Amino acid sequence: MESEYKAIMIGGSAGSFQVVCKIIAALPADYPLPIIMCLHRLKHVRSGFVEALSIKSKLPIIEPHDKEPLRNGRIYLAPANYHMYIELGNRFSLSTEDVINHSRPSIDLSFFSASYNYKRKLVGIILSGANKDGALGLKSVADGGGLTIVQDPKECQVPTMTTASMNATKVDHIFTTKQIIDFLLKLT
Amino acid sequence: MIETLGIVDIRKMNGFVSEAFGINLADYASTILKRRYVHMLNTYNCVSVDNFEDRIKKGIITADDVMYEVSLETTELFRDPSAWREMRDKYLPEVCKSGKCNILMPGESSGDELYSMMIVLSEANLLDKVQVDAYCPSNRNLKQIKDGGLYDSKKLELGDANYTRYSGPKTLSNYYTLVDNRAKMQSSLLNGVNLSVRDVQKNADTKRYKMIVYRNVLLQYSVPLYERVVKTLVDKLDIGGYLIIGDMETLEYCDSNRKLVLVDSAEQVYRKKMD
Repeated sequence: MESEYKAIMIGGSAGSFQVVCKIIAALPADYPLPIIMCLHRLKHVRSGFVEALSIKSKLPIIEPHDKEPLRNGRIYLAPANYHMYIELGNRFSLSTEDVINHSRPSIDLSFFSASYNYKRKLVGIILSGANKDGALGLKSVADGGGLTIVQDPKECQVPTMTTASMNATKVDHIFTTKQIIDFLLKLT
Repeated sequence: MIETLGIVDIRKMNGFVSEAFGINLADYASTILKRRYVHMLNTYNCVSVDNFEDRIKKGIITADDVMYEVSLETTELFRDPSAWREMRDKYLPEVCKSGKCNILMPGESSGDELYSMMIVLSEANLLDKVQVDAYCPSNRNLKQIKDGGLYDSKKLELGDANYTRYSGPKTLSNYYTLVDNRAKMQSSLLNGVNLSVRDVQKNADTKRYKMIVYRNVLLQYSVPLYERVVKTLVDKLDIGGYLIIGDMETLEYCDSNRKLVLVDSAEQVYRKKMD
């Protein structure tokens, strides 16, 4: 069955690493949709994050280079110290513009570009995090007709990001980690 | 305040800029250009795209302003310290060993990269062995760089930390003075640098270089323009010379890469092959 969605974008910050690990560990090796993750991370540490996530994943995890075409069945992670966009034509675009919400990569910027590109074919998910980055991004997903999910704030280690997202827009689902996994598995 | 623009707005603005100044921005990466345009509209208090055209016609927004606003900042002094260490320990000594060496830095918008390079060369006692040519996109950028830039405390903190990670022999504070809580780089660091406003694509200069540093500048171009710019850079490079781009940039998507060998994938250092 072909999914009605073309991409899944996940944003997270403090407290999201364990959740992301559980999600990617649950996805089968033939998971067809691209998963694009923008997670806050240390700007000056360029390596180690992909390797740590790859231990858990059956899918390849990639930090995309600028202009790299986006392909299905891969998990993409925004590289350290760059903003990450999805360009029309399904290529990644990176940028060294100033930090947004104290962050580069900025979750908002990634979500804005993905929602502009995929509109109602995008699933946006916001996980645990300690600032408001991602809230306006998730709103842009909703405004574009995409599906919005936040991790249940009661389950989040730090609920600031999910609460801010719920204040910014009426989200479609408030899910626990297990429910997020079940949902992603049902999409295929 | 304008928060976003659609593709039609961007094309209209590209049209205004092209018609008024002959500057073609149609091949810039659209997502980045959109953000730069939004920033420019708000900076110049334009309430609409048509208002932007009006301000161009009235001379309130000049070609120089447009180039200043659309150019992407490279953000930090000594960004990616490991890349600067590699340049200091490996590539600069090599290109300098056989006489005077030309180095080109053709994408200087903020001056961060240029000041970093001049500090590296100074500390490595290589200043008398190199000629550095640097291009910047507008006279505003040029003035800002020549005046030593002005770094706020946050940016300064980043530069200081980067310099420490680079393992420089001094501290970055040796190279700046504080003016009203902002750092001003010693503009004497640029003594001997040929710094000018130029578009690398339109520059028919036949001078050749042993090293071209163009880190994180290709990001702002879409694929067709990126291909043209890379071809120009490769043409300007001596056989055996090095082209250094940003660590998350790649030349994988352009034809000119057949003339190059990737010698350092972590720092994206390419070397020009024999024809």
